[in-house]
Amino acid sequence: MSVLDEVFILCALGALVLFVFHRIRGIEKLAVVFYAALLYLLIKMSGLGYGGEVIYSSFSLNILGETLQWRFDAVSWFFAIITVASGLFSAVFMSGKWGESYREKTSNAAYGTLQIALLLNVNSMLILLASGDLLSLFIGWELVSWASFMMMALNPDKQARQAAIKYIVYAMAGAMAFLAAMAYVYGITGSLQYAELAQASAALSNGQIILLSLLFFTGFAIKMGLIPFHLWQAVAYAETPAPGAVFLGAISARMGLYAIIVVLIQLIGLGHLQQIHIPFTFWNLQTVLAWVGALTTIIPTYIALKQNDARHLLAWHGVGQGGYMLLGLMTLNSLGSAGGLLHVFNYATYQAALFMTIGAVIYRTGTANFDKLGGLVTQMPLTFMVMVFSIIGLAGLPPMNGFVSKWMVYRSLLLDGEPLLFVAAVIGTLGTILSVYKLVHNTFLGQLRVEHQNVREAPLSLLIPMLVLAAIMFVTGMMPGLVLDWVASAQLAMGLVPVTYNLGGIVLASGGLDMIWITLILFYGLGVGAIIFYLLGGRAKRVHQYDNYAGGHFLTSRVRYHYSHNFYAGLMHLIGGWYRGSFKKLEQAIVSLVSLLSQLSENMYRSAQPAMMVIIVVVLSLWSISGGIN
Amino acid sequence: MSKLGNIPVQAKSEKKRTNPLARVFDELIQFCQSRSMFMLHYCTGCGAIELPPAMTSRFDMERLGIQPMVTPRQADILLVTGYVSVKTLKRVILTYEQMQSPKYVIGICSCTVNGGMYWQSYATAKVLNEYLPVDVYIAGCMPRPEAVIMGLRRLMSNIENGKGNAWKDYYERYDYYLGNQQHLFGDDWQTPVDVIGEAKFYDLEGEETYGEHTRTLEQHQEPLEAAVMRVKL
Repeated sequence: MSVLDEVFILCALGALVLFVFHRIRGIEKLAVVFYAALLYLLIKMSGLGYGGEVIYSSFSLNILGETLQWRFDAVSWFFAIITVASGLFSAVFMSGKWGESYREKTSNAAYGTLQIALLLNVNSMLILLASGDLLSLFIGWELVSWASFMMMALNPDKQARQAAIKYIVYAMAGAMAFLAAMAYVYGITGSLQYAELAQASAALSNGQIILLSLLFFTGFAIKMGLIPFHLWQAVAYAETPAPGAVFLGAISARMGLYAIIVVLIQLIGLGHLQQIHIPFTFWNLQTVLAWVGALTTIIPTYIALKQNDARHLLAWHGVGQGGYMLLGLMTLNSLGSAGGLLHVFNYATYQAALFMTIGAVIYRTGTANFDKLGGLVTQMPLTFMVMVFSIIGLAGLPPMNGFVSKWMVYRSLLLDGEPLLFVAAVIGTLGTILSVYKLVHNTFLGQLRVEHQNVREAPLSLLIPMLVLAAIMFVTGMMPGLVLDWVASAQLAMGLVPVTYNLGGIVLASGGLDMIWITLILFYGLGVGAIIFYLLGGRAKRVHQYDNYAGGHFLTSRVRYHYSHNFYAGLMHLIGGWYRGSFKKLEQAIVSLVSLLSQLSENMYRSAQPAMMVIIVVVLSLWSISGGIN
Repeated sequence: MSKLGNIPVQAKSEKKRTNPLARVFDELIQFCQSRSMFMLHYCTGCGAIELPPAMTSRFDMERLGIQPMVTPRQADILLVTGYVSVKTLKRVILTYEQMQSPKYVIGICSCTVNGGMYWQSYATAKVLNEYLPVDVYIAGCMPRPEAVIMGLRRLMSNIENGKGNAWKDYYERYDYYLGNQQHLFGDDWQTPVDVIGEAKFYDLEGEETYGEHTRTLEQHQEPLEAAVMRVKL
C-alpha cells in the first residue's frame, strides 16, 4: 500500500466520521487532528518535493474500457501541501472562539456543516490533484466545484446565495467546455489517458490544437477567474463564512492553474504553445495566454480598489493575483515559471492571513465595512501587525515572500524582452499597493470610533494561525530557497528547465537575488535610523487622537475626519471613467440571449400555432424525404 | 520680564546644564535650523497674495531654504497673513499648538499688528501676540515680497543667534495666553492639544505656566489621554 492509498483512506475515514458526528461539540478538535495527520502523510511523501519518483495509488478502476488511476507527482504534491496546510490553518482558526460564536449565531448543525464543507473541499482537491487521466481529472474537477458551492451556500444572506448560484452556473459552463474538450480528445485518440493525448498532440493540426486549447482553457479559466470569466469569484469567496473564505481564497481557485499546467503545458506541450500562431495576428498561443494573465492582474485589481468592504477588496485581489501566476507560468522559461509557481505558495500564505485578520476584525466589531471601521490599531495591535506583514507580501515589497515571486516574474519578462507585459504587471502592482493601503488605513489606522473603544485583541485561537502564517511569510521571504526546492521539482515534472537557486534566492548570470542580504540591509538601515534617533536624545510623544490636523477644524467624536469614504477621490477623478462595467454588460447580454432563446423555444413548444407547426413538419419531412443530410 | 512696546521679551532661562559638552553643537544646530524651514501659511487675509511672488521664481524664497508645507506637524513657521476674525483665531491657535517645537510665528500685514483697517471691527482679534507668541511682525498693507523676505531673513538671523525663543514663552507663560484666549472665546475654550503636558515634555514649565486660567481650563477640560497600544486578550 502506497502513501497515496493511506491519504485516500484517511480522507474517506475523516469524511465518514465527520459526517456521522458533525453535530457533536468537540468535533472541531478532531478535524484539526485530521488535517494534521493529512499533513503528516504529505510530509511522508516529501521526497516528491526534492526530485523523488512519482507515487502511484495501488488501485485503479476500469469503466467502459477506460482505466481511471491516481498518482502524485511533484506538481500535485506542491499544490497538495498548500491545500492541506490551508485546510489546517482554517480548521485551527475555526476551532476556538470563532467556532463558538458561529455556533451561537447559527446552530450546532450549521457549524458541523461548515466543518464538513471544509473537509470535502480538501478531500476533493486532493482527488483532483492525484488524478492520473483525463476522466479522473474531470471527476475531481466536478467534486471540487460542488464542494466549493457547498461552502459558499452556507451563508444565508441573499447576496451570498446569489453569488453561490452564479458560481455554480459558471462552473457548470466550464465543466461543459472541459467535457467537450474531452469528447474531442476521445474522438481523436480513442482514449482518455494522459500519455495517449501527449503522443497524439504531436500529430494534431494547428486548428485542432487551437480548438482543443480553447475548450480546455475556458474550463480552467473559469475556475481560476481569469478574464473574461472573473465576475463570479470575488463576491462568492468574500461572502463565505470567514474560515471558508480563508481556505477558498488561499488555494481553491489555483486548481484551475494546476489543470492548466497538466493539460496545456504537460500534454499539449510547450512546443505547440510557442509555435502555433493565431491567424491574422502576430501572436502565438503563449502570448495570448500571457496577455490573459496580464489583463487579469490589472482589471480585477482596479475593481478591488473600488470596493468598500474589506472581504470583497481581498477577494478581488485574489482574482488579480491569479493573473501573476498565469503570466509567470506563460513565460515558459525557468525563472518566470518558477516565479509563477512560487507565487501560488506565497499568495496562499498572505491571502489566508489577510482573510484571518478580517475575520478577527469582524469577530470583534461585527463589520468589515470600511465606513464603519478605523483606528483599531490601538485595540488589536497583533492583528494589525499580521495585516502589515501580509500586505507587504501582497504588494510585493521586501522582505516578505511576495517580493521574491513577483521579482522573478518581472525579471524574466525583462530578460525575455517583453516590455509591454512587464508594464502591465507593474500597473497591476501599483493597483495592489494603492488598495492594500486603503485596506490597512481604513480598518486599523486613522481614528477609533466611540463604539469600538472597548474592543479587545482577537482571541488566541484566532491569533495563533495568523502569527504562524506571518512567520512563514517572513522566513520564506528571507530564505526563498526553502520553497524553491519544491518549485524546481515541480518544474522538472512539468518538463521545464528548473530554476537555479540557493537558500537566499536566485542565481542568475545577469544579476540574481539574495534575500538574506536584502533583509539584513533593510534591518541594518532601520537600526542605523533608530540609533541616530535615540542617541541624539529623540523621544516620542503620544497625542490624543483628535489632536490631528484637519485644516484647522476641531475634531470630535461626531466629526472625526477619518477619511475612508470615497477613498482615492482624486485618483477616481482621473481613472473613474474607465470603470464602465463592460464585462458585466457582456454577462448581462449573454443572460438576455439565453433567456430570449429559451422563451422562443418555450413559445414553439407551448403556444397553439397549428399553421406554423404544420409548415415546419411539412418542410422537415420533405427535407428528409429528399435525402436529408446526405 | 521686560516689555518692548506691547511685545513681552523673555530673558533666556539660564538653567545650569551639568554636562560641559552639552552646548558644543548648539551653534551648529541653530545654523542648520535657520536654513531649513518649512512654512505653513495660514492664509487669512489679503497678505496671502504677496506670497506666490515671494515663493516663485522672481523672489525665490527657496534659496533661503524656506519651503511651503501642508501640515503643521512638519512645519516650522506659521505665517498669519492678514486679519484674524475670532472664529479664525481659534483655528490659528489650534494649528499653532499642533506644530512641533521649535516653532515660529510671523505676523504679516498691519492687521496682525494692531487690527489695521479692521480696528473698529467687533469680530476681529486686533493684536496677534496677545494670543500667540509672535517672533516677527512684517507691517504694511500689504508688505511687498521684498519685505516678506526681509522679515524671514530677520527670523533666520534670530534663530541663528539663539534669539528665536518666542515658542518657549508660550509654555512658560501659558496662563497669560490662555487668559486672553478665554477672554475672547469664553471660559469653556479648549483645544485637543495638551499644552501643559508638552511644557512638561520640553521641560519648560515656568511660574506662569499655571494660574487662574489654567484652573478654569481644568474645570471644563475633556480628558486628553492618548490611546495606548495594548494587547488585551
